[in-house]
Amino acid sequence: MYDIGMTVFNGLAWAMATFLVAAGLTLIFGILHILNFAHGGFFMIGAYVSYSIMMAFGGSLPLWLYLVGAMASGIVVGLLGWAVDKLVFRRLRDVEDAYSLIATYALLLVCGGAVQLTWGLNYMGVMPPAALNTVVFVGDMFMPTFTIFIILSGIVAYIGLEFFISKTRTGRLIRVVAADPWMAQLLGLNVKKIYLITVIFSFAMAGAAGGLLMPNQSLSPELGGIFLLQAFGVVILGGMGSIRGAFYAALLLGLIESFGTYFFPQYPGIFFLLALAVILLLKPEGIMGKGQTA
Amino acid sequence: MIDYRARFRSNLLIASCGLAVFAVVPLVANSGLMFLAGLVAINVVFGLSWNLLFSGAGLLSFGHAMFFGGGAYAMAVVSLRLPELPFLVGLAVGAGCGALIALIFGFIALRRASGVYFAVLTLAFSELVHILITKTTFLGRNDGLVGVPRPEIDLGLFRLDLTSATAYYYFIIVAMAAAAFALWCFQNSPAGRLIQAIKQDSVRTAFLGTSVFAWQLTAFVLSGAIAAFCGAVMVPFTQIASPEIAYWTVSTQPILFTLLGGAGNFWGPAVGAILFGAIDYGTRAMHGLSEITVGTLLLVVVLVIPGGLLGFVRHRRKKTRGTAKASTAEDTGARP
Repeated sequence: MYDIGMTVFNGLAWAMATFLVAAGLTLIFGILHILNFAHGGFFMIGAYVSYSIMMAFGGSLPLWLYLVGAMASGIVVGLLGWAVDKLVFRRLRDVEDAYSLIATYALLLVCGGAVQLTWGLNYMGVMPPAALNTVVFVGDMFMPTFTIFIILSGIVAYIGLEFFISKTRTGRLIRVVAADPWMAQLLGLNVKKIYLITVIFSFAMAGAAGGLLMPNQSLSPELGGIFLLQAFGVVILGGMGSIRGAFYAALLLGLIESFGTYFFPQYPGIFFLLALAVILLLKPEGIMGKGQTA
Repeated sequence: MIDYRARFRSNLLIASCGLAVFAVVPLVANSGLMFLAGLVAINVVFGLSWNLLFSGAGLLSFGHAMFFGGGAYAMAVVSLRLPELPFLVGLAVGAGCGALIALIFGFIALRRASGVYFAVLTLAFSELVHILITKTTFLGRNDGLVGVPRPEIDLGLFRLDLTSATAYYYFIIVAMAAAAFALWCFQNSPAGRLIQAIKQDSVRTAFLGTSVFAWQLTAFVLSGAIAAFCGAVMVPFTQIASPEIAYWTVSTQPILFTLLGGAGNFWGPAVGAILFGAIDYGTRAMHGLSEITVGTLLLVVVLVIPGGLLGFVRHRRKKTRGTAKASTAEDTGARP
């Protein structure tokens, strides 16, 4: 009982941390049909920005500063998103898929290089804020509050995104453009502006996710790649562009990963890849069917 | 109608010039530069093998590190654990290992996936191989296999002593020239042109009675075998096989070489690998600068000159000559 509870808990933690990164990735794919390699890079920049904000305030991390830091990272990276859309994404619309994938990889390289130049190669680490650095006992299971917080953040982010996409005016416009950009343009919508909003929003999510997940990570220029691969898996499995799909795919892969690691502790990090390959073979369009932004 | 004999002659000329430059390196440069040149020579063929898939067959692989790493580890295992086997057998085992990995994963990935899905599936498979290597004690886990000896080859009539770095460097040049020649021959063979036809219109080629899947798999296996051969040749040179050579960033290396040099030209990856080596060497004092330079260059290539460096040069030359031929279709190469 204890083991199953903890394994599910770990699976949820994996799932929600990954979903936080994957949400922005799938949103951009749904609208622009670009699988954005650079998402991992901007996630990493978010983490580093948050780290620097914290260091500027003396190095300790009270809860409010942690949350403000994550918000600020979101804003900074969102602004970077604006620049990236103007300079790069706008030009990728008529480019073949393979080339736009490579272009976003080039952006990831630039991000990695910029992080190395600005923050150096050394590993840096931060403890979770004191208020979240405790443990909750449920029966004989101990659950770090920080992990619970991450799980809750993932769920809140999911509900918020669902609400944003289906209930708000901007969200509905995004869905319209995702469904048929040409027709949307005919109807007089400013499609370019919707694209821009989506990109900024997606980047801001990457930055905020970086700020939220920064504690307990070792900050290094490789950070971008680690979460990126998991997020790729989740986005593809969820049916590219589907936020709901990404959420369920994250849960599925997270549980498979944590149960796999429970039974074969010597092979962590391998089971979600195996599961991804097997599921994609059986159902190449992902678990939610044809991708739609919703 | 293309004159294949003339094309062969001009390519032979280009290859000979490149070979001559590489052959002169140990005479004029220090051992550090020679080491770098050896790695660049390996990268040239690594890039060519990737471009066989990309420009030849229209498949975007993000997992070439699994072949490169697989070949390297196979070579290291053979020479450390089975030292009685001759060196050339080790190379063959390395290439065969890459072909086998390509056959297994290609069989899975090509069945269902195409385009971006194919790219991400190969990425996932290659990460799988990387993790397996870091967790396997037989392969040295995170430390890798160290102390791989450089060989002496017994050719019956005489022995070829490759234990010195310079001697092995020349062996690399010869081996890579042979591999590049094999790739060129394949791409200009009927089979190579058939794969090109599949890339341009797979439905129509299937109507003509070709098995698209079988030919794409053939290209994938050949590309994997050559990439693994590169890895196998590299290991005795660096004398170590570490898990980093199977990491996914290695998969992106041939992509960088090809796109920088020009995907539409057979020698594009070669130009890109040399350029990349020069950038890496020039910016080695400052961490991050090489990533920024290469990343920015790559962005410029994709956004402004999709034909890469060679495509750009050819375009300029045609322009200045004032030929009225519409050259854009050829220059942008892989982009229909």
